Amino acid sequence: MINDIRVGALIAYCSIKRGNKKTLMFIVFVLSLIFMNLVFLPSMIGGLLGMFTGFMQDYPYGDIVIEPTGDNTYINNADNVLKKVRAVEGVRAATKRLDVGASISHKQKVVGVTITGILPIEEYDISRYPYIISEGDFLSDLSRDEIIIGAMIAGTGFGSEIYDNLGEVRPGAFVDVTYSNGVKRTYKVKGIMEGTFEVVDLNALIHYKEIEDVYGLEGKEATSVVVRVTDQGTEAKIRDKIREVGVNEQIFTWADKSESLIRQAMQSMGAIDIMSKIVSLIVGAALVLIIIYINVLNRKKEIGILKAVGITPRSIVLSYAFLSTFYVSLGIFAGLILYLTLMFYFQANPVVFYETIEISPVIDPVLLIQSIVTMLTLSVIAGILPAWSVSRESILKAIWGR
Amino acid sequence: MIIVKDLKRYYGTGKTEVKALNGVSFEIKKGEFVAIMGASGSGKTTLLRILALLDDATGGMYTIRGLEVSSLPEAERSYYRLTQVGYVFQDYALINEMSAAENVYVLSMMEGRSKKESYSTALEALDKVGLKGKHDRVPDELSGGEKQRVAIARAIAKKPDIMFADEPCANLDTNNSKQVLDVFKELNEKYGQTIIMVTHEPWHVEYVNRVITLEDGIMISDEIRTKS
Ligand SMILES: Nc1ncnc2c1ncn2[C@@H]1O[C@H](COP(=O)(O)OP(=O)(O)O)[C@@H](O)[C@H]1O
Ligand SMILES: [Mg+2]
Repeated sequence: MINDIRVGALIAYCSIKRGNKKTLMFIVFVLSLIFMNLVFLPSMIGGLLGMFTGFMQDYPYGDIVIEPTGDNTYINNADNVLKKVRAVEGVRAATKRLDVGASISHKQKVVGVTITGILPIEEYDISRYPYIISEGDFLSDLSRDEIIIGAMIAGTGFGSEIYDNLGEVRPGAFVDVTYSNGVKRTYKVKGIMEGTFEVVDLNALIHYKEIEDVYGLEGKEATSVVVRVTDQGTEAKIRDKIREVGVNEQIFTWADKSESLIRQAMQSMGAIDIMSKIVSLIVGAALVLIIIYINVLNRKKEIGILKAVGITPRSIVLSYAFLSTFYVSLGIFAGLILYLTLMFYFQANPVVFYETIEISPVIDPVLLIQSIVTMLTLSVIAGILPAWSVSRESILKAIWGR
Repeated sequence: MIIVKDLKRYYGTGKTEVKALNGVSFEIKKGEFVAIMGASGSGKTTLLRILALLDDATGGMYTIRGLEVSSLPEAERSYYRLTQVGYVFQDYALINEMSAAENVYVLSMMEGRSKKESYSTALEALDKVGLKGKHDRVPDELSGGEKQRVAIARAIAKKPDIMFADEPCANLDTNNSKQVLDVFKELNEKYGQTIIMVTHEPWHVEYVNRVITLEDGIMISDEIRTKS
């Protein structure tokens, strides 16, 4: 076997060293495109998913979100939970929120929304809400009769054409809010927030205390507790610590949340991703197979000669395995360079969707390694199959054709 | 050393059947330089391929040193070809992407010798056939006669029991032919190499010490030549 490997390597080495360089370059070029095809789209989709989960972190969920268990509407004793959470090492900030359903009307126009009750001062450390006010100002701690509404319902932002809106509401205007429990109140619009994302721009923010008042709550209820950690990457550890200090509610990291979210919202994306991978793998495998097969057919006589002088079929098959591994390795290498060049280009010049959403691709090492391993495996199989079938032919047939 | 009894080789079946060899018997001793002659289509190549274990006989018996080789399994035949049989093809049959030295030493490597040893064996064989200083050239950079001498070097590097050559000079001019035949003759006389060579050129018999003549798959004469 050792001899087979040495001889196989020698044959492969000679045919690479003295073989046609133009053919080699063409093969490598095609293989690099196959590799690109395998990793490029997933990276773009990865970028999209990353952006999506980034939104989830910046607005509804933070790094860790605590939600009521089972059928409960509220977290029991949210202040107690907050106290425990804030005492956990590695927690940077935490706040409570109250989500309620309501409808907002302004001059005959009515829009259904989710209103989130927030503690404005605390949100500066938790979310990006305070930083995306496109017109007017963010809520202050005294804002009890004021409201922030999303640009899409205000009718001023992008996407207003798609969704029902109030028809260009500006700061200073008054809107009527009817809560899910029937209570009606009038608020002055303090600001418009624009996050270029439905979850934000179809939402409205009101002071936590005001929601409590409307629903007759006693200062201990919340629909979620949102937590930020000091160091990114420690979320899972801190989630477990929070559980350990006796918080008996549901605790999710943003990754837990986005997994289920992605499963829901990005299912079709995932399907496209998988299909494109399968297609490019099949095309890639077929191409490698064809390239090696033509190569083998061209050297049928040579294979016969090698056998006639006593070279084992196994060495011959191995030499083709080495050859195709070499082609594919070069192809992957060239593909990687091409890929990284494109990645850096798109990271510097992101693809723009919805006029404002920028998507830059992410480089996922796991995906890269997976693709490399798949292509190499394929190449070995694609290299061995035709060589194996030819090396089994009789010597006379291989050399003299009959 | 070689004993062949009633050797037969039929191609095809029924109406298209060709009796390329129809019962050939002879014995060849160590150190002989034999020419197999005969008209085109008389069965020379067929015979040689069977003797060199590149093809199977339809019938008859074939032994080398008492070993019945016709019934060996392919893996052993392959090993036998590698270690004991040298075969020189009419069209050289070199690997174009390998240099002269590589064409020769790939076989030593197959036999399991070290790279260094293989290389020096190859150079020695190339020197023997008069290709000193040309071992790094690829076949495209060699003349027909030189290519055939590389093929001979490949065949002799392993120091085979028997060396076979099928019309080794068919593609060569007289000058190159003489060079090749001189190499054979020297190998035979100096190193006692057993050689069986197919040819149809009458003047080649000057170099050999025995001539077997075939006609329609049957041996019609077998004469020993006294050395000149
Ligand atoms: N593979 C084959 N299939 C069918 N007939 C063959 C084959 N090889 C040789 N023959 C026939 O066998 C006969 C002997 O051929 P060959 O041994 O090549 O003769 P030579 O070498 O003396 O010219 C010829 O009639 C040839 O046509
Ligand atoms: Mg012939």
